[in-house]
Amino acid sequence: MIRLRTALRSGGLYAVMLSLAILFILPLMWLLFIALKTPGEMLEFPPHVLPRTPRWENFVEALTYVDFLGYARNSVALAVLYGSLVTVSSAMLGFGLARLPAPGKRFVFGLVVATLMIPPIITLIPTYLIFARVGLLNTFWPWVLWGLAGSSFLGFMFRQFFAGLPRELEDAAIVDGCGCFRMFWQIFLPLSKPVLATSFVLSFVWTWGDWVMPALLLNDDRSTLAVAVGSLYQSTGGGPLYHLIAAAAVMYSLPVLVLFLGLQRLFIRGIATTGLR
Amino acid sequence: MAGTAARRWHRNRPGTFYAFTGPWLAGFLLLTVFPLGYALWLSFTNYDGFSPHWGFVGLQNYQAAFQDPNTWSSLARTLVFVVVVVPATIGFGLFLAVLVNQKVRLRGAFRAIYFLPVVVPPVAAGFVFRLLFDRDTGAATAVLGWFGLPPVEWLADDKALAVLMLMILWRVGSNMVISLAGLQGIPREVLDAAAIDGAGAWRSFLWVTIPIMSPVLFFQLVIGVIDTLQLYLPALLISAAGQASLDTTPSRGLYIYMVHVYTQAFANGNLGYASALLWLLTAVTLVYTLVIFRVTRRVVYYETGPAGQEDRR
Repeated sequence: MIRLRTALRSGGLYAVMLSLAILFILPLMWLLFIALKTPGEMLEFPPHVLPRTPRWENFVEALTYVDFLGYARNSVALAVLYGSLVTVSSAMLGFGLARLPAPGKRFVFGLVVATLMIPPIITLIPTYLIFARVGLLNTFWPWVLWGLAGSSFLGFMFRQFFAGLPRELEDAAIVDGCGCFRMFWQIFLPLSKPVLATSFVLSFVWTWGDWVMPALLLNDDRSTLAVAVGSLYQSTGGGPLYHLIAAAAVMYSLPVLVLFLGLQRLFIRGIATTGLR
Repeated sequence: MAGTAARRWHRNRPGTFYAFTGPWLAGFLLLTVFPLGYALWLSFTNYDGFSPHWGFVGLQNYQAAFQDPNTWSSLARTLVFVVVVVPATIGFGLFLAVLVNQKVRLRGAFRAIYFLPVVVPPVAAGFVFRLLFDRDTGAATAVLGWFGLPPVEWLADDKALAVLMLMILWRVGSNMVISLAGLQGIPREVLDAAAIDGAGAWRSFLWVTIPIMSPVLFFQLVIGVIDTLQLYLPALLISAAGQASLDTTPSRGLYIYMVHVYTQAFANGNLGYASALLWLLTAVTLVYTLVIFRVTRRVVYYETGPAGQEDRR
């Protein structure tokens, strides 16, 4: 009797979890279906769900209709550039906050926490005007600057990690006559490899997914894949080419989805500790 | 051990601290404080980006902002959005966290599936949701059709806001992992003690789990309100359908506050006016943050020093 009840309960649990999983996957399936339909099939009314015969040529066409690979190269370049700079800079910030005493440190920590509350979108319009004035439009310099400046979210994540390491690490380093910077590079950074990886992967994915900044700061021909997929697949008449956009969106999303499935742990830890989405 | 060395070490460190945090501080001044100040100054001018004849107009932009019906309607829409979306994502996220915290087979796979949408780039997500709810060709129309119902114009009026809400709710995975981390931090003994005291699963959830989780839920509330107040890109993407551009104006139902700001800045070229709108939102955000920090010091619960000792300033 009790056995039956537990069986029923876990069966019900599975049913709920499975139906939710289907709901979560559904939009992605719909994207894939559109990517495999013919242009005419896409516009039929009433809509039907599955493509009649999958049209794989959509993917080939999406690669050539705009310079997909060129945009992909820009996306990778920006994401790697920003991801590596912001990781190093945020690690330094976190290390300072966790391990180095100084007058004013409390104030700096307060500033870091306060900026968690100011999303970059709010400063973007004035920043755009300033970058335009100093001639940084249509260059990758803004991402270099943003990277060098570090991120308070990632700095905070590093701080949490460094603060959890034992005190003896410094004592040993001091006895060895090791300076602060060497201690940071040779002892603390190697210990923080998983956090470094989390930071790099998260910032890579943000930059890969960001549309607003490249749309604002880069010309269409020097822009990223996000802008290409979001805006550039138009017919000569100016209408959107849904089947090509869908195919391009699939190819554009795939790298980060694969990255996530391979490195789930890193993503989940990063988001759980910073609260950033 | 190594008394003098350690003392020398301590004396040296103020400079080192500023060397390590210097890049961030410089960035904070140049890329956050300076732009905000620049926007504040612009908000007192009628700058439009082109005309060489522009100048100081005093508080006119702020006056205009308060008299602009679009400001109030977009603000109202944004508040409705915040009031619905924030509790919904926190609650649903907690529900999912509880589900994937059960000892069932394949829970790792379920966890991954529920989280997956968070990783889908916004451009792809916005495009899909636009097409799912397309009047003629969308999946929603197909489903309505199975029940013999006529198609609905989802994206024309306020229903578009519901589509946007669904899209945000689809990305609930980040709330789920935050709550999951909280659930896993609850000591086993506390739950065991509750069970021994005769509390059923439901009661121990209400009276043990939820109170212990309150800082975690509160954290999501703080971050969630700020994130949703400033939401912009998903609204633009849903209305744009693969033709997103900074100077298109989203449809009425998606005209939330940040959309108002960007429309004024880039579609209408009223950069001074947009700066005033930005500053109003910044002021609201700052006040909100200060109040939150005052009301509960718990936000700083993550302030711990190196393992096993007090934080040395």
